[in-house]
Amino acid sequence: MTPWGAVWEGLRAETAQLRRSPLLLILAVIQAVTFLLLVSLFGLTGSRAPTAIVDQDGGPAAGRLVADLAEAHRSFSLRNMPAAAADAALRRGDLVAVITIPHGFSAAVQRGDTVALPVAVDNVDADLTDDVQRALPSAIIAFGHQMGFPGIRLQPAERDVLPHDTDFIPYLVVSALALDALVVAGVLAAIAVAREFEAGTARVLALSPMHPLVPLSGRLLATGMVSLAAMGITTALVVLLYHVVPINPAELILGLFACVVIFTCVGAAVGGMIRRILPVTALIFGIALPLYIDSGALEPERFDGDIIWAVAHASPVYYAVGVLEHAFHSLHVTPEPVVVDLLALAGWAAVALVGAWALMRRRMAR
Amino acid sequence: MDVDGEGRKVVHLSPQNGVDAAMRTGLRGGEAVDRSPAVWLDRVSCRIGDRTLLDDVSLRMTTGQVAGILGPNGAGKSTMLGLITGLRRLSSGSATVLGERLPGGGALLRRRIGVVLQETALYDELTAYENLRFAAALYGVPSTRERVFAVLDLLGLTDRSRDMVGTLSGGMRRRISIARALLHEPELLIIDEPTLGVDVDARHAIWSHLRVLRARGTTILVATNYLDEAEALCDVVAVLREGHLLAYESPTELIARAGRCIDIDCHPDDVALVGRAMEGMQGVLRVDPTPSGAAVFLHGTAPTDEVVKTVLRSTSVDGLRVRAADLAEVFRALAVTA
Repeated sequence: MTPWGAVWEGLRAETAQLRRSPLLLILAVIQAVTFLLLVSLFGLTGSRAPTAIVDQDGGPAAGRLVADLAEAHRSFSLRNMPAAAADAALRRGDLVAVITIPHGFSAAVQRGDTVALPVAVDNVDADLTDDVQRALPSAIIAFGHQMGFPGIRLQPAERDVLPHDTDFIPYLVVSALALDALVVAGVLAAIAVAREFEAGTARVLALSPMHPLVPLSGRLLATGMVSLAAMGITTALVVLLYHVVPINPAELILGLFACVVIFTCVGAAVGGMIRRILPVTALIFGIALPLYIDSGALEPERFDGDIIWAVAHASPVYYAVGVLEHAFHSLHVTPEPVVVDLLALAGWAAVALVGAWALMRRRMAR
Repeated sequence: MDVDGEGRKVVHLSPQNGVDAAMRTGLRGGEAVDRSPAVWLDRVSCRIGDRTLLDDVSLRMTTGQVAGILGPNGAGKSTMLGLITGLRRLSSGSATVLGERLPGGGALLRRRIGVVLQETALYDELTAYENLRFAAALYGVPSTRERVFAVLDLLGLTDRSRDMVGTLSGGMRRRISIARALLHEPELLIIDEPTLGVDVDARHAIWSHLRVLRARGTTILVATNYLDEAEALCDVVAVLREGHLLAYESPTELIARAGRCIDIDCHPDDVALVGRAMEGMQGVLRVDPTPSGAAVFLHGTAPTDEVVKTVLRSTSVDGLRVRAADLAEVFRALAVTA
């Protein structure tokens, strides 16, 4: 009676079952890729508010202002329109805002007069309205600077901590890999365990001389390999499609491997607790997004306030994002060193494994 | 109540039935079988919260016997099997299985027991062979391929070894689950509802396979809802109702107590004639009207042929069937004799 024989047969059985369920395999890969699209859309949406410019002046100062508005960071997608058309488009919901540059704007600016700049805003979403309200002053300051207006002058002298900038979407797609690992590895492992309960085979395992987790670990090895393959495909897309190349490839491999191991263990524990495939899948999707958002996925979590940051420490995704962002961009998004992040991931895997071990026979016997 | 050589109490359920009846079946085919207890429950109770699933149950099942646990759904059959397999814990009393006092024994004891669960519990996406190979690994069965094909052959499934289990009939799935329990050549085979949800042909096929195992001397414990199944397979039967052990005796004795039944198809107006004809007849317990005519209940020792002839003489009969008593009648008889 060797445990390795049972592990090996578990692996063979799960591989055969997965091979005969190609749809599940395809969905696992598609699921991983769709999260890349999700975060890409997340980065893209709301950053280019469709805004009409009604230029009733047509002078050089008006042209300068339009150029400064166009360069305002991640804010306006400008289009020149007549006043009536712009107003109609705003009411239809095709535009977020209409900025009107009035007659005599350039002349008034030359004279140094104060000019009112009418801005009509569709306030259907306060967040979008805030974006417009924040972007306008920065464009106007840039305009004043270009035009040599008198007054208080502040010239920011930026000193970068890091030798390179990381754009929002390249940052997001890397953290999305942690979300992918959680969902793909977690769901596949949870399904493998919950299926034992649904099929009634859990009791067969409980009645055998082996601890149920021994043959199940073979099954989890198989789901882990499928998860690694799905992660490999997704990582290749990040490199080839988004041109985000890992600076530390070895760390990336180690990080992804650790993520798959830990989320497989977490999935197994959740599958053992819930014991039904449908709820377990819904639950993992349900917990994935809050864990993802509270993990430093959008920006380093320490910038989101002490409470949110403290809570994030309880989430394995926080450490996973820390490892992956460092692997791709050499960013330290967690104050903890990467080694500590990796150790925390290993600790999470161990806790999940011990939990699953303790839970399994008791649950399976029922 | 006696005390055995090891100082443990042995509860005789009644002078007529109980352990004595179990011990009477110690000979099979002229060969003496091992009389050591395979299963020994002594005043065992199992409670969950304020629900009592088994109450003060005692029985002793001898090695080499085929014992049945008979009772309706909810009687405590699966609970008793759960206790014996170690899936459930005793609340009080003591239980010994294959010489191991429960809850001890652990993996080594589980290695000596084969269990066929009420549900077939197979992996539908795997073939019959793959299902058994996986199970063989759990028990560390050597020469797996040979052993898997040996049990498939025993249960007449060799030609279906490469079929996906999900495509097989209920009867075949049941036979595969029995094959799985036999892979490691258990000393004690426990079967919960061996013919649940299978058709008549499959039922008889399964009985025939169990008889083969019985002939080989395998100790078998069968839980069933059906008296005829217990009669067909078992040397001794424990009757359970609502967690109480009502009897532990041979099926012959049980049927003798519960009797037989003659179902008569006749015109409703003729039921009274049947009733009058049966008055005073030896061994006739009662006559009940049924939707199709009448049912005549007989004592186990009643002269069935005489009763049938009398019925046929008394009135015009469309049809007539003699059958064993069902569970309700067993319980009625046990209540009367208790």
